[in-house]
Amino acid sequence: MSSPANTIVVGKKSPRIYSREAVLFGCILLLVLFVIFTAAVSRMYHKKIHVLADNWFDQGEASFRAGDIKSALTDYRNAMVYSPDNAKFQFHLAQALAAAGRGDEGRSYLLNLLSESPGSGDVNLALARIAAHKGLTSDALRYYHGAIYGEWDNDPIGRRWQVRRELAEYLLDRGLQQQAVPEIIALADSTRANDTEQLRVVENLLLRAKLWTRALEVFRTILSANLNDGDALLGAATSAFNLGQYSAALDYFERLPEKDRNASGVAEMYKTAQQINEMNAFLPGLSREAKARRAASALSLSATRLQQCATQMGQSLTAMPPQTQLQKAFAESKDFTADESWQNIAKHPETVDEVMGHAFEMENAAAVACGEPEGADQALWLLGRSREGSAQ
Amino acid sequence: MTEPTAVTSPGAIPPAASEPASSASKSGFRAMWENWTSRVFTMREDRFFLFLAVLIGILSGLAVVCFRIAIEWTQIELLGSSLSPTFPRVVLAPTLAGIAVALLVIYAFPRARGSGVNQTKSAVYVSNGYIPFNTVVGKFITCALAIGSGQSLGPEDPSLQMGAGIASLIGRRLRLSQEKVRLIAPVGAAAGLAAAFNAPISAVLFVLEEVIGTWSAGVLGAIVLAAISSVVTMRAFLGPESMFRVPPFRVAKPADLLAYVALGIVGGLASLVFLKWLAYARPRIQSLPRWTQHFQPAVAGLLIGIIGIRLPQVMGAGYPIIDQAMHGQFTWKLLLVLAALKILATGFSFLSGTPGGMFAPSLFIGAMLGGAVGAIEQHFFPALPGTVGTFALVGMGTFFAGFLRVPITSVFMVIEVSGNYTAILPVMISSLIAYGISRSYIKVPLFDLLARQDGLVLPSVEEQREQMILTVEDAMRVDAAMVLERAEKAADAIKKLEGKEGLLSFLRVRPGEWNFIEHSELQRLAADTSQSRTVEEASSKGPLPFVFRDMSLEEALHWAGDWPALPVLSRADLSKLEGVVTLDDILKAFRKVPVA
Repeated sequence: MSSPANTIVVGKKSPRIYSREAVLFGCILLLVLFVIFTAAVSRMYHKKIHVLADNWFDQGEASFRAGDIKSALTDYRNAMVYSPDNAKFQFHLAQALAAAGRGDEGRSYLLNLLSESPGSGDVNLALARIAAHKGLTSDALRYYHGAIYGEWDNDPIGRRWQVRRELAEYLLDRGLQQQAVPEIIALADSTRANDTEQLRVVENLLLRAKLWTRALEVFRTILSANLNDGDALLGAATSAFNLGQYSAALDYFERLPEKDRNASGVAEMYKTAQQINEMNAFLPGLSREAKARRAASALSLSATRLQQCATQMGQSLTAMPPQTQLQKAFAESKDFTADESWQNIAKHPETVDEVMGHAFEMENAAAVACGEPEGADQALWLLGRSREGSAQ
Repeated sequence: MTEPTAVTSPGAIPPAASEPASSASKSGFRAMWENWTSRVFTMREDRFFLFLAVLIGILSGLAVVCFRIAIEWTQIELLGSSLSPTFPRVVLAPTLAGIAVALLVIYAFPRARGSGVNQTKSAVYVSNGYIPFNTVVGKFITCALAIGSGQSLGPEDPSLQMGAGIASLIGRRLRLSQEKVRLIAPVGAAAGLAAAFNAPISAVLFVLEEVIGTWSAGVLGAIVLAAISSVVTMRAFLGPESMFRVPPFRVAKPADLLAYVALGIVGGLASLVFLKWLAYARPRIQSLPRWTQHFQPAVAGLLIGIIGIRLPQVMGAGYPIIDQAMHGQFTWKLLLVLAALKILATGFSFLSGTPGGMFAPSLFIGAMLGGAVGAIEQHFFPALPGTVGTFALVGMGTFFAGFLRVPITSVFMVIEVSGNYTAILPVMISSLIAYGISRSYIKVPLFDLLARQDGLVLPSVEEQREQMILTVEDAMRVDAAMVLERAEKAADAIKKLEGKEGLLSFLRVRPGEWNFIEHSELQRLAADTSQSRTVEEASSKGPLPFVFRDMSLEEALHWAGDWPALPVLSRADLSKLEGVVTLDDILKAFRKVPVA
């Protein structure tokens, strides 16, 4: 091997000869200077691109707020050119894409963010909304739960509550009652008793989910704070009505302002509750005579309904032996038809229960054969069902 | 080899002529410096080379950081900070910058033309690793201007050449041996490419595959070190993030891989189209009168600007657009249009001689094609795993493998630029298919093709891969030797040899020590009246160097000329002779192989 020191390197012209120490020193000096120069340039560059990125992002935010989604998308994309890894930018771009109905495109950014921070509440929620929008229920549920159990920077309890509410509403909207129930119950459990606004949301969801018992509890909680809260009174009335607690329902209905009470849907319930109350022979405090009158009236009403139903169905109630439910109900109540006057019942107050029982039976048989009754018959039928429910 | 400690050991660099250290009379710093330099220069040259590799890596990394900043800054100044430049800028910027670039290349930096890969390769093989520093400066300025103004080229290949130029300068200034100066340029090239791509493994593989053209263990360590130091330097200034972000995915069923077979076919065909076009158009553009070179980059810039009015995505290196494609931001139709227009735009820029690289455009085209194929496939097969982004990522590697013919580099590149290992199987499959298609229809890889068009014949790894490597097994004869033991009577040995013409006699002295005995010598001993002379008493040649049947024939050739024959021994038992090989056998074996 030739001595490197004496080697003539091939080139256009021979370089000036310096000692190796000098060259090495020069290299290291150059390296230090180059590092300083690069650091300075890089600092200026980063400053510039951060300013550009922030400017574009702010423009995007302004456009988004103004409803100009198209411009917002362009601005967010421009911002991302200068800060491609910025999670905030990616998240806002994804949200803008979702808002523009391009959830699939936004989903990609969100999945990226999710792979970096799988516990992010915001990202999970955004993904859940996209999945919900696309009707991918299992994905939506997964992401909603990810958001509920995920991390939130500000007010984690409040955000989780909101997400669960959104999930419950989504499930109810899709008719997934069974899946909605545990979410609504969890939501009700995590709602503070003194937060009326949240309680209102919960009461609404409970009503939609037909969780009457829980709903009544919530309404009572609200009413304990404000006796005249119209929404709570209405909710409590509805819940009590559906639970068969007609007296309580009537009480709530009557506390409602007249305008609310006469609203569509409410007026019917109120009227029915009133009728039930008027027909109810079991109300405490009624005189023997009043009980007997009510029992006799119920028996007569139900017998008429049974007869009408039998006629409608083309059946003879006197057929022997009784074959159909209508005929059986009629046969069983026949003994009382001999003397169904209230005076007779008043003489034998122990028969009130039996008389009412036969009335309920006949209404039931008619309801099964001819459909749900209306008016006074409906009131009697509902009373019977509530009695049956209480007995069970 | 023993560890040399003395300055005069073979292979060591002699210390520079400096005064002997007398620490007492010098300042503390000077003494320390001299002590350190003395240690550095008395290192064995290979260790000193590794030290230089780190130095080169850091310098190249810094250069690439400045280069990337320069490109982005130029782009912001010339085209504005929006992804969609306004109308006058979009046409004027690349056109006017094209004129400036042409003037700079013609009058100030003539070696800055082209991508930089072939220029570096030719520096290694033609000019003994000499790359003038002027080229580095020229490449920096012209590429920053060209790419920043929207020419459809990338910064990777120029970074490779800049790294090589920095390394070459250091090697020359330090007066390294000619061999080391030749080797140091690829070291810098790897450093430059690694920093530009943020991908050290791919850079190492590419330099080994494309620039050096051979897997040389001697330089591998230095290349790896340089690549790592440059990437670390670059990350210190520009951040450690991967170039692209694609969510991980899982290939659930083997049948899902068929989706990537289709991508491989599309990528292979697209790379063929691009290669054919470049191969056809380049000589024609080059044959135009010399004065047209003043305007070629400007014309390319104008054409790209016109495309950019409607589709500015095709301008520049296009990394933000690749990122958008990976996030499914474009429809499959737009992706296909972008791929086609990028092929066109990159062709304009490259053929016009504008300095800039082909890596970024090929990644862009691959990503668009991949995204389009993925979107179409997912439309018909919604259950396919992965997103459009996954296909875009795999598409990048696919087109890269087909176009640049570096399949191994492309696989690692995809993993490194995305930080996503899950794509490895799909990218391997589609890359190999694209590579196979490309090779079937165009025999010469892109960079070799360009070199040949420029009148250079540079070594190609692809051709080397196809060359048959002959081993000792191809030349050795199995039944041509007779083994003699030391105590064996010469007369008996002669009897054994009777009727067996051409048999060679080897004396087994001990395992691994074999001697050659001429027949005449055996006959001389056997003629002794006592009949008791043993073969050990014969005058023999040895100990013979031995070979193994799997050794290359070239290695055996080193020894064969000096000895009548070489024993081929078993690797498991050095006392077992498996065959014999002579110089004639070796030459005959070489003659059988057709010349490439």
